[in-house]
Amino acid sequence: MDYFYSILILIGIYVVLASSFNLIIGNAGLVSIAHPIFFALGAYTAGLAAIYFGLHAIVATLAGGVVAALFSLMMSLPSLRVSGDYLMITSIGFQLGLLQVIKNVEFTGSQGGLSNIPTPVTGPYRGLVYSVVSLAVAATVVWIIRWIVRGPYGRAITAMRDDELAFLALGRDAMRIKIVIFAVGCGLAGIAGGLYAFYYQYVSPEQFEILASAAMLTMVVVGGMGSTLGPVVGAVLLIALPQAITFLELPPAIMAPLQGMLFTLLVIVFVFIRPQGLISPEGPTPLPGHRQVNRGGPR
Amino acid sequence: MNAVLTLEGLCKSFGGIVVADHITLELERGHILGLIGPNGAGKTSLFNLISGVVPPDAGDIRLNGVSILARPLYQRARMGIARTWQQMRLFHTMTVLENMVVAPREYVAESMLNLVFKPRALRHADEIACEQAMRILERMHLAQCADSLVMDIPFGQQKLVGLARALMNDGPCLLLDEPMAGVEGQAYDTIKAVVRQEAAAGRAVCVVEHNISFIKDLCTSAVFMSFGAILERGSVADLLASKSLTELYFGA
Repeated sequence: MDYFYSILILIGIYVVLASSFNLIIGNAGLVSIAHPIFFALGAYTAGLAAIYFGLHAIVATLAGGVVAALFSLMMSLPSLRVSGDYLMITSIGFQLGLLQVIKNVEFTGSQGGLSNIPTPVTGPYRGLVYSVVSLAVAATVVWIIRWIVRGPYGRAITAMRDDELAFLALGRDAMRIKIVIFAVGCGLAGIAGGLYAFYYQYVSPEQFEILASAAMLTMVVVGGMGSTLGPVVGAVLLIALPQAITFLELPPAIMAPLQGMLFTLLVIVFVFIRPQGLISPEGPTPLPGHRQVNRGGPR
Repeated sequence: MNAVLTLEGLCKSFGGIVVADHITLELERGHILGLIGPNGAGKTSLFNLISGVVPPDAGDIRLNGVSILARPLYQRARMGIARTWQQMRLFHTMTVLENMVVAPREYVAESMLNLVFKPRALRHADEIACEQAMRILERMHLAQCADSLVMDIPFGQQKLVGLARALMNDGPCLLLDEPMAGVEGQAYDTIKAVVRQEAAAGRAVCVVEHNISFIKDLCTSAVFMSFGAILERGSVADLLASKSLTELYFGA
C-alpha cells in the first residue's frame, strides 16, 4: 500500500511541477528549462527551515515557494530582456550554476544532500495523509492556473506569446507580465519542492539536473502545451508508465535504460504524430455576450 | 499651432545605412499626412522611431509639446501613439474580438493584483472593451467575424483587423504602415472611409503608402523620403508633378 501512496504523492508533486512549467513555457511562451532548480530551491528551503529553525512543515513549504519566487527574479530580471533560444541558454546556465553552489556549500549538505528532514506526520497513516495533501495541493494549483489563463490576464499572456512587439505597441507592459508569470510559476514549483522534502525527508542535488528538466518538458509536450489539463495528464502518464513496466520483473540493468527510452520514444512519437499533445488548449472564457470558440489546437 | 507630434532633427543609422537623416516633421490635429518614397527610404523606420521600437541617435520627439524620448514603446502607446504594421502582426491564435480587447490604452487585467483584488473592475473593463471593440468592428463591417480566429479569415479582412485593433487606442496620433498593401474591393473603401473619419474626429494621422491614388484621395499634404531624408514636402499634387521625384520613385 505504501508503494501505491508513494506513486500518488509523486503524481501530485509532478502535476504541480508540470502545470506551473506549462504556465511559463506553454502559456506565456517563455522558453526556460530551469524549472527543476526552483523545485530544488523550494525543497532545500523547506528542509533547511525545518531543520535549523524548527519551522512547521506548512510554513516551511510556503517559505520554499516564496524563496523560489524571489530567486526567479534573479533569473528573470536580467534574462527576460532576451527571448527564445537565448533565454533557454541563460536558463540552463542559471540552473547548472545554482546547482553547483548547492553542491559546494556546507549548510545544504553539499554533494551528499540534505538528510534528516523532520516529518510532520508519522504513524500508519503517513502515506495516506501525504497522498491527500499532495493531490489537494495539485488540484488547487491546477485550479489557480486555470483561473489565471482563462480570464483577461490569460488573454494578455496569449497575445504576448503570439507577438510580443505588437503587444508592446498596444501599450502592454510585457516585461512586467513576464516577471510575474515567472515568479508565480517558479513559486509553485517551490511549493512542490516543499512537499517533496517533507515526504522523502531527504534532498540531494542530482535530482535537479537537466534530466529533471527533460522529464518535466516531456510531461508538458505529451500532455499538451498551453492547455491546463494537458500537463496533468502528462504527469500522471509519465509517472505511472515507468512504474507499470516495473511489474514486468525485468532485471534492473535493463529496467533503467528501458524507462529512459520510454520518455525519449514518447517525445519523438508525439512530436511527429500529435505535436499539440494529448489535450488541445481550451482557450479563454468567452467574452461577455459571445460564444465559446472551437480552437482545435495549433494548426 | 495644431501640432500633435513634433519630430526635430531625428537621426538614425544602422551601421553605414542611414534610415533617418535630420528628419523634422509635424503631425497636425485633423490632418492626414502621406509619407511616400521608394522602398528602403526609411518610412517604416520613421514609424519605428516615433513609436519607440528603436531609439534615435539624435533629435527629439515631442507629443503635445512634451518630449517622449525617454519613454519606452508601451508607454508611448499609452500616451496615445497608435500604430499598425505592414505585416499586421495579429495575435494568430486568438479571435478577432480577443485581438481587439487586449488593445485599449489602459488594460486593468495587466496587473495580477487586480485579478485578485478587483474582479468587478475587471469584468466591467471587459464589458466596456467588448462594446468599444464591437462598435469599431461594425464600422469596418467586421462584426460577423468577431468570433473567428484571425488565421481563419481572408487577408483583406486581416488587414482591416490590424487597423481596427489600432483604433482601440483612442489617442491623438495614428500611424498607418501601408494599410492598403494587398487590399482591394470593399475593404479598400472601408479603410479609406475609416481613416477619413478618424482624422475628422481630430486625430493626427500619418500614412505610409505606395498606392498613390489612396494618398491623392486622402492626404492633405505629403512628404517624399529617400535614403532617410525628406527631399520635398507640400501638397500631394505638387509632389507628383515634380519630375525629379517621380524619376526617383519609378526609376523612369
